[in-house]
Amino acid sequence: MNFKFLLLAGGTLLSSTAASAGGYQVTLAGQKNNGMGGVGVGLSLDQAAMFYNPGALAMVKDRGVQLGVNATLARNAFVAEGGSQQRQLRNSTVTPFNLYAGFGPAEGKFRAGIAVYTPFGSKLQYANGWEGRTSLTDITLESIYVQPTFSYAITDQLSIGAGLMILAYGSVNLQRDIPLPDSFGHIELDGKAENKVGYNAGIFFKPSDKLSVGISYRSKIDAQVKDGDVTFTNVSPSFASRFEATKFGATLPLPATTSIGIGIMPNENLTIGLDANFVEWSKYRVLRFDFDKQVNGNTFSESKRFYQDALTFRVGGQYKLTSGLTVRAGGSYDMTPVKDGYVTPETPDNDRISGTLGASYSFGKFGVDLSSQFVSIQKRTQTQQDLLNNGTTDRIAGTYKTNIVIPGLGLNYNF
Amino acid sequence: MTTSLFRKCAPVVALMGLGLTACQPDLEDDFTPSAGTADFSRYIAVGNSLTAGYSDGGLYLEGQLSSYPNLLAGQFRAAGGGDFVQPLFQTGQENGSGYLRLTGIVNGSPVTAPVTTNLALRAGATAARPLYTKYTEPVNNLAVPNIRLSDIETAGFGNTQTSPSNALTFNSYFERITPDGNNQTYLARVAASNPTFFTNWLGNNDVLGFATAGGAANSLTPTATFTDKNNKVIDALTANGAKGLVATIPNVTNIPFFTTVGPAFKTTLTAANVPGLVIQTGAALGGPASGNRKQITTADIRDASGNGRQLFTLISSPFLTLLNQRSGRAWRYVYSQSGQPAAGFPLFLAAYGIDTTATFGTSAGNPIPSLFVLDDVEQGQVLTATTAFNAAITAKANEKGLAIFDANTFFTRVAASGIVTNGVTNNANFITGNLFSLDGVHPTPRGYAIVANEMISAINAKYGSNISQVNPNDYRGVKFPQ
Repeated sequence: MNFKFLLLAGGTLLSSTAASAGGYQVTLAGQKNNGMGGVGVGLSLDQAAMFYNPGALAMVKDRGVQLGVNATLARNAFVAEGGSQQRQLRNSTVTPFNLYAGFGPAEGKFRAGIAVYTPFGSKLQYANGWEGRTSLTDITLESIYVQPTFSYAITDQLSIGAGLMILAYGSVNLQRDIPLPDSFGHIELDGKAENKVGYNAGIFFKPSDKLSVGISYRSKIDAQVKDGDVTFTNVSPSFASRFEATKFGATLPLPATTSIGIGIMPNENLTIGLDANFVEWSKYRVLRFDFDKQVNGNTFSESKRFYQDALTFRVGGQYKLTSGLTVRAGGSYDMTPVKDGYVTPETPDNDRISGTLGASYSFGKFGVDLSSQFVSIQKRTQTQQDLLNNGTTDRIAGTYKTNIVIPGLGLNYNF
Repeated sequence: MTTSLFRKCAPVVALMGLGLTACQPDLEDDFTPSAGTADFSRYIAVGNSLTAGYSDGGLYLEGQLSSYPNLLAGQFRAAGGGDFVQPLFQTGQENGSGYLRLTGIVNGSPVTAPVTTNLALRAGATAARPLYTKYTEPVNNLAVPNIRLSDIETAGFGNTQTSPSNALTFNSYFERITPDGNNQTYLARVAASNPTFFTNWLGNNDVLGFATAGGAANSLTPTATFTDKNNKVIDALTANGAKGLVATIPNVTNIPFFTTVGPAFKTTLTAANVPGLVIQTGAALGGPASGNRKQITTADIRDASGNGRQLFTLISSPFLTLLNQRSGRAWRYVYSQSGQPAAGFPLFLAAYGIDTTATFGTSAGNPIPSLFVLDDVEQGQVLTATTAFNAAITAKANEKGLAIFDANTFFTRVAASGIVTNGVTNNANFITGNLFSLDGVHPTPRGYAIVANEMISAINAKYGSNISQVNPNDYRGVKFPQ
């Protein structure tokens, strides 16, 4: 597989609306997993194990390639505190994707592979003139990880694996309106993240045909933008001298995730998975932008985030109806990392409840996977008093509610 | 496809036929407006310049449109509110009385100029007695700029016909909305308005005129008079069972008119090692030995941190640079404000014992005019009156079970810590604070929007209604030159 081709593909396909994990994390890594609540750490379903648990890859008998694409259809409603007018996003559909290729000797003890996926992302476009316009009007946050992976089966029951996790592409585009005494200006921050490397590692243990367990870890990467572009528009001449910056720098933590999972196979046709993820969101303390020149009298802006570590619980299963057809279902409960009074329009977040369905059909070596997820981000209200109490009045008081539907399509070819 | 069904429930997954839909969440049902126990079908606003939408030292169409009663009426509409008619200045006369606009910032100091085009003046208007284009259709906004609560039973308050016998009590703004030859009092006009819901914010001018004149003109209304008139206006408004809201009177010493000039002046004096000043205080005639002169120290001028007591008015600003010079300019300005013939100037100087060849502001012969300083004693008088008036307003409102917007508490808090509206910081600073217009006294459209929201909170709390607020950021602060 041509590495450069993968990146080019990413450039066009990438990005995802804050989808099925808290904050700006996206867990849409494998089409089979998507259909069963996002479980996978304790399973060895297919090459997507490179994401969920590299340790399980060696237990995936098939060698093959798979490509998956999702469409996230996010619908958000917001009513400002004291208001009655509902604001809705300018709807946009985005398409996070994933690609896995696994290789290895037919009877050998190891498997190697390369994975490309989009673990973090967000795209939200708020209604024109909405109440929170000075906090945010538009955000697009993108990341692509490329992960060369190696997995080795120490025994028939125990395998380990690890991958180098390369932040091959990352970008941020953040726009908001600037309050001037008699009008609104607009600022756009647009930058590319520098390439960085982290790692992903896991252990997989399958003591019997009916049980497997896994643990995996994805390290933190600080996505760092240097020399991003600052563009001002609509700043009236009276104030133009106060908006001089042309470049910005910022760092966004893409936090470490530790996962454990259990797989239960009561019979040949039924597989049940249970996962728990622990994401170290508490590393996200402040969002700081440093400017080369002043923006309304300051050369930096800093906004409190103070995220807290968060857990996600997942359950899902698949049943092989016929030799060709497998059906799946699952769900998850995802605790938000965002504390009361710290909700921002970038991540109008709360605990999330997801339900998923999926199916696969295989035609010999070729297979098609379908999945669909429905994610309900719970209604969340924060008051102006909450904001005052926390010193977070740079954002907006009101009530958010978001629903997301994410259909997905995957193709796989085994050899 | 743009049908609302598609918008709300874009069917997904044709791929799988799962029947899942990307449903647009709907929060609106949680926030449906309602009137509670109030009836907004006929809303009447009673008050002075603040209620008229006065801004930038004048009343003009843009200010009228962003008056808090107009904003309130707009929000009431979703909960059964009826039409709300204001005596708007028409196109072509939209600049109304004229107002101040900002023409630039020179060396950090704002430069303003009066707007003199497209005014609503009619034949017979003079500078001392402007007459505006009449608007005698029935109106819901009965606000009359400059009216004091003590004026509400003055007959002929809006009648030119008896002029000049009523020259001292005549009000051009009330005349504008009163049919010719009509001697109806403001109270009678209010009593005839027959509201189902009202707001009443009268009484500011019963202290404000005294304060903005630095205690040199206009009396404070006696508390007994204030209480009597306030009771009468509330009784008139509630005679038919109307519900409503009353507002208290803010302590005027927190407004930019009094807080802008002093801090910079104090810095200048401190740098120049000027230990103190001589000011004139009060309105009484007499020279240096009469007791109307007062020594204040530089340290006693109130600065931005609130240290010191003496307040300099916004209008003192151009004259303070004359300190220690042998100048009579300040006194010529003060005399010109009296409207008396120029020939009387020497007599005026003699009556106050002013020697314009003495150094300005540093000698008892040529003190800083009383008009420019609200000194600590005068502030005490203002505060005492404000407290007494607010006690009267609050007692009557409680007696009638009305909602109360405690404007005094609110503006005190704003002066101390500002107010954030949907992520935007606003405070009581002149020009840059967004809330106060170029006259340093009246709010900007943003300021009025915030006042409307505070009133809505009080109304909702009192009557169990659910009236939604406006987004203050949709309304401007001070308009800058383009």
